[in-house]
Amino acid sequence: MAMQITINGRTIQAEPGDTIYQAAQRAGISIPSLCASDHLAPFGSCRLCLCVIEGRSGTPASCTTPVQDRMLVTTAGPSLDRHRKNIVELYLSEQPEQGQQALVLTELARSLDLHDIRYRQSERRMAYEDTSNPFFSFRNDICVSCARCVRACQEIQGTNALTMLGRGFWAIPVAGAASVSGSSEGFATSNCVSCGACVKECPTGALTEKTVLEHGPPTEFVRTTCAYCGVGCAFDAGVRAGQVVQMIPADDGPSNLGHACMKGRFGWTYIAAEDRVRTPLLREGSRWKEISWDAALDRLAQEFSRIKTTHGPDALATISSSRGTNEENYLFGKFMRCVIGTNHIDNCARVCHSATVTGMMETLGASAATNSIDDLDLAKLIMVVGANPTESHPVVGARIKQVHRRGVPMIVIDPRRTELARLADLHLQLEPGTNVALLNGMGHVIAKEGLIDHRFTGERTEGLDEWINTVADCTPEKTEQITGVPAHLIREAARRYASSGASLCVHGLGVAEHRWGSHGVMALVNLALATGNIGKPGSGINPLRGQNNVQGASDVGCLPTYFAGYQPLDDPKLAALHQQITGRPLPTKRGMKTPDMWDAALEGRLKGLWIIGYDVAQTDPNLKKVHEALKRVEFLVVQDLFMSETTKFAHLVLPGASFLEKDGTFTNLERRIQRIRKVVDPPNGILPDWRVVCEVSKRMGYPMPYQHPSEIMDELARLTPMFAGVSYDRLENPAGLQWPVPSPSHPGTSLMHRDTFPKGKARFIAVDYLPPGETASEDYPFVLTTGRILQHYNCGAQTRRTDILDVVDTDVLEMHRTDMERLQLEEGAIVRLVSARGEALLPAVRSERVLPGHLFTSFHFPASTVNSLLSSSADESSKCPEYKVSAVRVEPVQREELDAEDETELRHIRRQLIL
Amino acid sequence: MSIARLYLSNDTSSRAAGADRVAEELETRSDIQLVRTSSRGAFYLEPMIERDLPDGRAAWCNVVPGDYEKIVAGTGGTPVESIPYLAKQARYTFSNFGVTEPLALDEYQTRGGFKGLEAALAMAPEAIIQELKVSRLRGRGGAAFPVWSKWQAALLASAPVKYVVVNADEGDAGTYCDRMMMEGDPFRLIEGMLICAHAIGATQGFIYCRQEYPAAARTMRQAIQKADEAELLELNDGTFSIEIVRGAGSYVCGEETALLESLEGRRGVVRAKPPYPAVAGLFHQPTIVSNVLTFATLPNILARGGAWHASLGTDRSRGTIALQIGGRIKQPGLVEIPFGMTLRQVLEEFGGGMVEGAQFKAVQVGGPLGSLFPESKLDIPVCYDAFTDAGAILGHGGIVVYDQDTDMVELARHFMAFVADESCGKCAPCRIGSLRAREILELVQIGRGKPNDLTLLADLGETMKTASLCALGGRAPYPVMTAIEHFGQEFQNKLMHKH
Repeated sequence: MAMQITINGRTIQAEPGDTIYQAAQRAGISIPSLCASDHLAPFGSCRLCLCVIEGRSGTPASCTTPVQDRMLVTTAGPSLDRHRKNIVELYLSEQPEQGQQALVLTELARSLDLHDIRYRQSERRMAYEDTSNPFFSFRNDICVSCARCVRACQEIQGTNALTMLGRGFWAIPVAGAASVSGSSEGFATSNCVSCGACVKECPTGALTEKTVLEHGPPTEFVRTTCAYCGVGCAFDAGVRAGQVVQMIPADDGPSNLGHACMKGRFGWTYIAAEDRVRTPLLREGSRWKEISWDAALDRLAQEFSRIKTTHGPDALATISSSRGTNEENYLFGKFMRCVIGTNHIDNCARVCHSATVTGMMETLGASAATNSIDDLDLAKLIMVVGANPTESHPVVGARIKQVHRRGVPMIVIDPRRTELARLADLHLQLEPGTNVALLNGMGHVIAKEGLIDHRFTGERTEGLDEWINTVADCTPEKTEQITGVPAHLIREAARRYASSGASLCVHGLGVAEHRWGSHGVMALVNLALATGNIGKPGSGINPLRGQNNVQGASDVGCLPTYFAGYQPLDDPKLAALHQQITGRPLPTKRGMKTPDMWDAALEGRLKGLWIIGYDVAQTDPNLKKVHEALKRVEFLVVQDLFMSETTKFAHLVLPGASFLEKDGTFTNLERRIQRIRKVVDPPNGILPDWRVVCEVSKRMGYPMPYQHPSEIMDELARLTPMFAGVSYDRLENPAGLQWPVPSPSHPGTSLMHRDTFPKGKARFIAVDYLPPGETASEDYPFVLTTGRILQHYNCGAQTRRTDILDVVDTDVLEMHRTDMERLQLEEGAIVRLVSARGEALLPAVRSERVLPGHLFTSFHFPASTVNSLLSSSADESSKCPEYKVSAVRVEPVQREELDAEDETELRHIRRQLIL
Repeated sequence: MSIARLYLSNDTSSRAAGADRVAEELETRSDIQLVRTSSRGAFYLEPMIERDLPDGRAAWCNVVPGDYEKIVAGTGGTPVESIPYLAKQARYTFSNFGVTEPLALDEYQTRGGFKGLEAALAMAPEAIIQELKVSRLRGRGGAAFPVWSKWQAALLASAPVKYVVVNADEGDAGTYCDRMMMEGDPFRLIEGMLICAHAIGATQGFIYCRQEYPAAARTMRQAIQKADEAELLELNDGTFSIEIVRGAGSYVCGEETALLESLEGRRGVVRAKPPYPAVAGLFHQPTIVSNVLTFATLPNILARGGAWHASLGTDRSRGTIALQIGGRIKQPGLVEIPFGMTLRQVLEEFGGGMVEGAQFKAVQVGGPLGSLFPESKLDIPVCYDAFTDAGAILGHGGIVVYDQDTDMVELARHFMAFVADESCGKCAPCRIGSLRAREILELVQIGRGKPNDLTLLADLGETMKTASLCALGGRAPYPVMTAIEHFGQEFQNKLMHKH
């Protein structure tokens, strides 16, 4: 029900729940304010927005006064302006000398015709500074104590690192507790996660990015999409003199709504890192020779042509990058299929959510998040399974915390006591590798207690009976035996999940990266199907995709088993269309998945490999094997921004253009296709990946005359029904497009499976619990789980080249206090982790996040060689590796055993608190 | 040997006036049984000992050791009823004061206690609210908001839980009636809370008691326990739990929203309204926040009917007001009277005029944010509307009288310094304005003022009044501006450097 209110004689529309300020702002009526923000609850501190309402006494703040139909409001006039002027005068009276005052205040003063400050000998704000955060500084002297930073930390990010300290005139924002003891290291010693929300909210510049302080404010902005995790935050990249100086999360960014995390907000300076690869490099023995682009492209084309001619198309493969654009990924697929004539193409989704793809494909018929991030606001219960979004998908994590703070219950299923687990209503802390058992146990309760939504299962699913039979045996008591989760918690979780009215599930790699990962996903989908928690707003199954375009890389066909849009390779209609559009036949034989490629290389079948933006030699499991395989490849091309562990094996290295240096699209974890735009030129004339493919292809006799990535998207749209309506013109809309977009007039799909599933009915696939590939044993008594931390990203190639290194500069091994004591380990002691496959050195730290007998570490630093510990054990159908369960032992390391370099690498301790 | 049963107040003010010394001396005597009661509030007469004589209570005032024998003998006492200070009052809310033992539940009940609750329990919530509407009771904390209207909003709000919160953060200098109520007649407050809880459907109550009131908190705790043991807290199929929460010494926490923030365990910072606490208060649930005295007024209203209450006082200020008179007058103490008497009458009839050698200069009603009145303004009737019309506040009924030796510039500076200290720091006009005003007054005070400083103060004052978030900033200019208005010459003298 819309309302009408009249402001300064102009009648405007307003929505119930609006404040006068909001309604005015939307109508373009400007009211001065410092403390109001679209992102924060009404506060009413600066009092600049005061107004007069007919029929009411006083002068309320328009930012805290709700609208009422037919309200008559005046926001300007001699009296109101006089008070505004007086307030600005008060603000200026506490600021430093003229010329150093907050710009926003001097501008307000000018607009109000305020020239003289009548107060004399007035006390000014304390000259307190906190420069301890690596990315931004705080100076109190130009602050206005509006608490927007404090409120942002609480209301948007949910971290509460900031507070107002002191009363009255002396009330100032401070981070952490350091300032209480007189230290100015507040940010660095607090639980601040450097999301930057406070900096963005600051109206005065008291909080400012160090890059802006150093280089000056941006002179222009370019809208683009973050290239870290799969949330797909929209940013306005601020440019000054051809250089990026600031990344501001965009308020109309559909997935981030103006929020960001440390990595996206501040972790982009790697693009100017000194050690960036700037020219193509050709191996000459143990040395690299800089060569021209022409020479490099010629060489690549020659080698691939030679291998194709000598050994056939199947001797060549490509591993594409989920970091690259949709257009680039499509082109790599096209190159392999049309130029080489094979389906040997994969992407790094193989080692993360491939089990999700398999599990959801087989049950639901589509392998992507069923909902939009916005659906979190509609959920009546949120279940987080095997995911740590506050670190790995921080913007979604913050959103979940917001929803939970509003009172929506949350269940967390995770072996670790993550931040969300600490906040959750129920935390089911299961033994690693027992997801299927636990989910089946919940299924048992649902079936037994009559909580199945029979109308839904009857109309929209098949296979229910089989599932009921399978879970019939999985009593909570038996489940407790396997999972370690108390039976009563299993019952409670099942009841709540089934009966909330709208339960939304988000899951992460803690479900997928297991020996039986796709079964875990199926078990999860089964719960949603049984309770009707799918296909309606606020409920569904949502994998949190790990990389910016891991969704898109698979969507556009960088898979050995599907063409773009998950179209079967043997579809005759597709074959005809493909022939017509590309002029080449579509190979129908399934290609090799990444782990198959290692086997092929070791067996001498794979001769040429092209790896794009993917450090397999650091991040894949069972590194020894991967390294052996890479050594056996005759011609290895690696295309990357930096020299990596993988380039050590390469014959040719091609520089890559970063996301800020090219055009294209990414698809985020909610299937949203969004534009990235070239913000700055790549250094030294580096070609973007799509151009590289075109050039090589041309040299191999198949020209790809694209002038712009938009043309690639147009081709993709013609070939792929689910992208049929996608075009760059439509993507100019900041909301992007959520696939499927079957026609140019289709608005995109925010909620999948609303009326029907892609294959008609969804299918229950009953799965029995099977033990993980490895369990703790006498020789290897600990279970190691690996994962990401907030500060770094995957192999760390980007984040390790930013000031994030000031926050965290090593991987650490998290260990329970009792284990530390039993092994007589001091905090920070360097230990050797030994598995049946390899070993790694890591500093051990006490952590309440793991149970006794469990260990956790991240894998962001090559020095720790964590992945050498892990097995090749992988999910049967998807080949998704078992990153989440390895049996290891922990050995103390004597100092003399360490070489000096190792020691300096490892002696650091992350400054960030492990909570 | 007959034992004389003597009554002596145990109120904190009485003890400050020497009651404990007297008690210590009398307790050693076997011929005396000493009963510690609440105080009648005539502090200028304390220590005061009473005993029951055949024709009623007799009192021995300003007792010194030499009086003990007379008291035991029952001679020389003054009939309490004949003490004009007390006789002229209309004691309803404070009817038990000086009479009962604070924690004697049976005495409270014998004297009509819990009759109001009994009546309320027999009524539907809507009927109780109707009764309050008839009574025309306005909140006694200072804002004088119609009580029924808040309750109506809280009743209509649907929420999983509702709260009753007693504002016992009595921070105005020279006020103490809330403390007296909690120390002296705690069951009345409990009864009032229960009536409210029943009417709005609340299940939990809090008493936010200022830190400086340890005895009040102790007595309230004991009373709550006694009431609980007597199953008097059973309400709506459950126990209405009452918790005492101690404040941390912030004046602004007497403001209801800052109080709620503090109760939630946060900084005592004022919230913008709306939403009003009745709709979204403690933990964002519907909450009735009212002053101690408001709750203590309820039992009588429910027991006697709203019309009874409405029959007292003036047109728009019904019932009685508890005034607390202090400063340079002869007879400081508590006075409960119907609204309507003039300030001059109050000061003369109850205050008894100025102390020896002192001359009246100014009076401040309503605490440190109240306006200063000169002698010429004393004919104002003590009621909400007359005070509002005069740009003043009745506040919590505190009256402080200043004599001719008072430096009005210093007094103005003092009150502004108080606000600068106590400002929560949320809104700019109060946060910065109070310090700027204090600085100007400091300069004037030390003879470094400039002629246009008073204009600046007036301009700043207008902005603070108009634009502040809460009454702390909004009222802060009043003492200063009324001092300048009525005692402008003193300011001029300082500006002209004539000390």
